[in-house]
Amino acid sequence: MSRAYRITVKESDTRHLKAGDEICTQLEILEILPPEDMATLLKEELKKRGFEEQGDGTMLRKDGELTVKVDPCSGEVTVKAETEETVSQEAKREATGFNDVGPSEKSLRDRVKDQLKTDLDKKFEQEQSRLQGKATEQLEKHLSDLQPEISEVVNQVTRDALKQKAQQMGTVKEISEDAESGSLTIKVEV
Amino acid sequence: MTRAAAPPRPPEPDGPRQVSKFEFNLLRILRFMVGHFPADQGMQLVRATVTRPECLSAGAVDLVKDTLAKACVLFLVKQGAWRNDKYLREGNPVQGRVWDRVPLDERSLTFSRPVLEFLQWATAEKVNDTKAPWDAAPKGLTPADEFFFWLAFDATRADPDLLNALRRKDAFRTNPLCWVTCPGDMIDGDDATPPDFAPLFEGQRAVILECLQPHLTHRWVRSERMKGQIGDWKRMRQQGRAEFAALQAFLKAAHAAKRTDLARFVLKTNAALFTSELTPVFWTGGLQGSGPPRLADRLDTQRAALAVPRQMEVLEVWQREALNVGYFDEGYQASQMWKADWEAASGTRTAARAHAAVEMLEPLRGPVNSGQSATGGGQQSPEAPADSPG
Repeated sequence: MSRAYRITVKESDTRHLKAGDEICTQLEILEILPPEDMATLLKEELKKRGFEEQGDGTMLRKDGELTVKVDPCSGEVTVKAETEETVSQEAKREATGFNDVGPSEKSLRDRVKDQLKTDLDKKFEQEQSRLQGKATEQLEKHLSDLQPEISEVVNQVTRDALKQKAQQMGTVKEISEDAESGSLTIKVEV
Repeated sequence: MTRAAAPPRPPEPDGPRQVSKFEFNLLRILRFMVGHFPADQGMQLVRATVTRPECLSAGAVDLVKDTLAKACVLFLVKQGAWRNDKYLREGNPVQGRVWDRVPLDERSLTFSRPVLEFLQWATAEKVNDTKAPWDAAPKGLTPADEFFFWLAFDATRADPDLLNALRRKDAFRTNPLCWVTCPGDMIDGDDATPPDFAPLFEGQRAVILECLQPHLTHRWVRSERMKGQIGDWKRMRQQGRAEFAALQAFLKAAHAAKRTDLARFVLKTNAALFTSELTPVFWTGGLQGSGPPRLADRLDTQRAALAVPRQMEVLEVWQREALNVGYFDEGYQASQMWKADWEAASGTRTAARAHAAVEMLEPLRGPVNSGQSATGGGQQSPEAPADSPG
């Protein structure tokens, strides 16, 4: 007599998932002074804003899971968002077999296990995309916050460079700055 | 400049020549490849098989020679050789039509065996589905052979199967003319490795390139205008990367060979595009959906889409160099000619507009939310220009 039986297989897995996103762009630094002097000014300005100098001469600041790296020599800015999570997933499947026909219990169990592996992989893939979305969202948000700051840095470096250039040209008689319009007037006696 | 006498014409036959079915197909395929036979019928012939005879009759070979000689010359003349233009010869500008500027022995096209072998192979085999090997060693090809293979590639590339089969062959894969006209069709994936463009600026190849300048300008302008209709992000990235790599390598080789006049089409293409201010939407407006999940990939695709405007940076450097060449310096005549080309194309204005379009894509630049931010998808249209296709 044929007897049916049901197999329930549960699989769980824990994986450490990582996701990241980054953009790389170039700062528009005017060549008012020689490149090395412009790089020094940029470095000083970045230091004031919490950037730390690295061994390779680049300036780095960590804002939570985000990293902003500036190469003062080339003006290259890299903003990187990295996020990681340890995710546990569980999957369960049931299968029915018969003791006299069809696959044996072992092969049925193996087949269900394979299916569960695929289920788990899919679940982790979904988690990976979620994590990726999170990293990208963080990066996008951070970029809009960072943009005014970077503009300020570039403006400040330009102002400082102009002042230095004026000093090199002659005696600076008067410097007037208008914060609202962003204009800078330097009177130099040559 | 002295002109050499034209070679004697062979005697004309008394009546139509007799050719076999295979030879008839071969001649029709040849005529299709040089643009003298309807494309749909030509494609069918290339995709069909015909039993290959042991050899071709003398009459058929004569007809092949005659077609190659007349059609290739006619193509070059129509595309630009007829123009009373100015190009550099040994560092000095020379004005005139190509037959006034270049002596006959420098512009006589010589086709070699690989061309006939290719035609026989394309007639006998289904080009898109054959195991019969055919290829030509690029080093053994004459400038005329390369020119013919480019025409053949250009005629067949509309069919994806044929394109896929041909671009794997060395005769096409390393053909600089193929790369300078349709780099997007030369690659399979993201990796774009253009061939060495240096030979293109020497001897007869340079003369062919002179003749093709208006044709190249026309093609690139059309290709740029059609980019706004590309919906697939991956395709846009691949095409843009290939274009960027090809144009960069081409401009580098042109500069090294001191033939900046042969890069005139890049300048003219940009001038034709930037008759008004353009935003990146002109190129990326057709991209569907929000694109790849990573911002880095989206930005990469959008940057790739603007491969042609990004070349203006190189041309600006050339212009600055030309401005610094003094009357007694070497290359004064060439620099004067470049400056005249730059002026004629409103180079400074074009470069400023191209620069502005490229800048709009860059994050961390300018006021917040200005222009098209890289963070958005291709659907964004901040301020659609009048000539935006999106």
